[in-house]
Amino acid sequence: MSRQAGRGTESKKMNSELFTLTYGALVTQLCKDYENDEDVNKQLDKMGYNIGVRLIEDFLARSNVGRCHDFRETADVIAKIAFKMYLGITPSITNWSPGGDEFSLILENNPLVDFVELPDNHSSLIYSNLLCGVLRGALEMVQMAVDVKFVQDTLKGDSVTEIRMKFIRRIEDNLPAGEE
Amino acid sequence: MAVCIAVIAKENYPLYIRSVPTENELKFHYTVHTSLDVVDEKISAMGKAMVDQRELYLGLLYPTEDYKVYLCNIAASPCSHTFLHRYGYVTNSKVKFVMVVDSSNTALRDNEIRSMFRKLHNSYTDIMCNPFYNPGDRIHSRAFDNMVNSMMMQVC
Repeated sequence: MSRQAGRGTESKKMNSELFTLTYGALVTQLCKDYENDEDVNKQLDKMGYNIGVRLIEDFLARSNVGRCHDFRETADVIAKIAFKMYLGITPSITNWSPGGDEFSLILENNPLVDFVELPDNHSSLIYSNLLCGVLRGALEMVQMAVDVKFVQDTLKGDSVTEIRMKFIRRIEDNLPAGEE
Repeated sequence: MAVCIAVIAKENYPLYIRSVPTENELKFHYTVHTSLDVVDEKISAMGKAMVDQRELYLGLLYPTEDYKVYLCNIAASPCSHTFLHRYGYVTNSKVKFVMVVDSSNTALRDNEIRSMFRKLHNSYTDIMCNPFYNPGDRIHSRAFDNMVNSMMMQVC
């Protein structure tokens, strides 16, 4: 995307097939490069994390959202603003845990998997694991340690895609991980 | 209704072939195979004109009646006048679709066949977009199977 144009609040449009195919090419290349699916999942998560820690700056600059006061507000911002801005979808938020520290994002349709059918020999591959990394990385930069994982996936025969997010703790110091 | 649907690669080897009475499979392989000559003939005969119009549908290749004989001999089903019509469709990338249609009771209209081919083409495009599918491999896809099944079930 063009950096020179300056970042406004308007969202730039991108062809969704190009996006889907690009992500598909990335995942299949990883599958060729790594021996087993667990390594691919790990790698996707790592890449997502690296995207997330950068993307949060872009997100805060463009969306003008302020500080969130509780985790519920964070959930709303993620679903209604962040997903809308970057993927063009609005997942619904459900299954709050009684303590209010854990919730699910339900994606009716996941733009990453538009044409994808998982072959039988990749049954443990978490195809969209990049998203988990992005969410984890982004929230870490705003002092929230979270645990993100897929619990349902349309690629594995479930009717919806469900991402489970669990709040772990607030990160007190502003140092990024690994620099303590 | 369609009794056999085949997708043939540019180099004329089968990517996908499926027929409804599975015991007659080999027979349909031959049927489709012989149709390919007609397809090639049609393509070269139309030549430039077709390419310019971007008309992918080749129309009726030729009708045969031999399926009837086969049914009587092997499956011992009641002898009815079963006509098989073969239709062809070729994409701009020279992938061919061949459909064998049983039209004994109802005459299928041309635009119905056309829309079936378009559905097939769209489905094939989706397969090609699957990052786990390598172009040129045989098609193993549940989505494609389902679509083909629905076209075979459909009573036109």
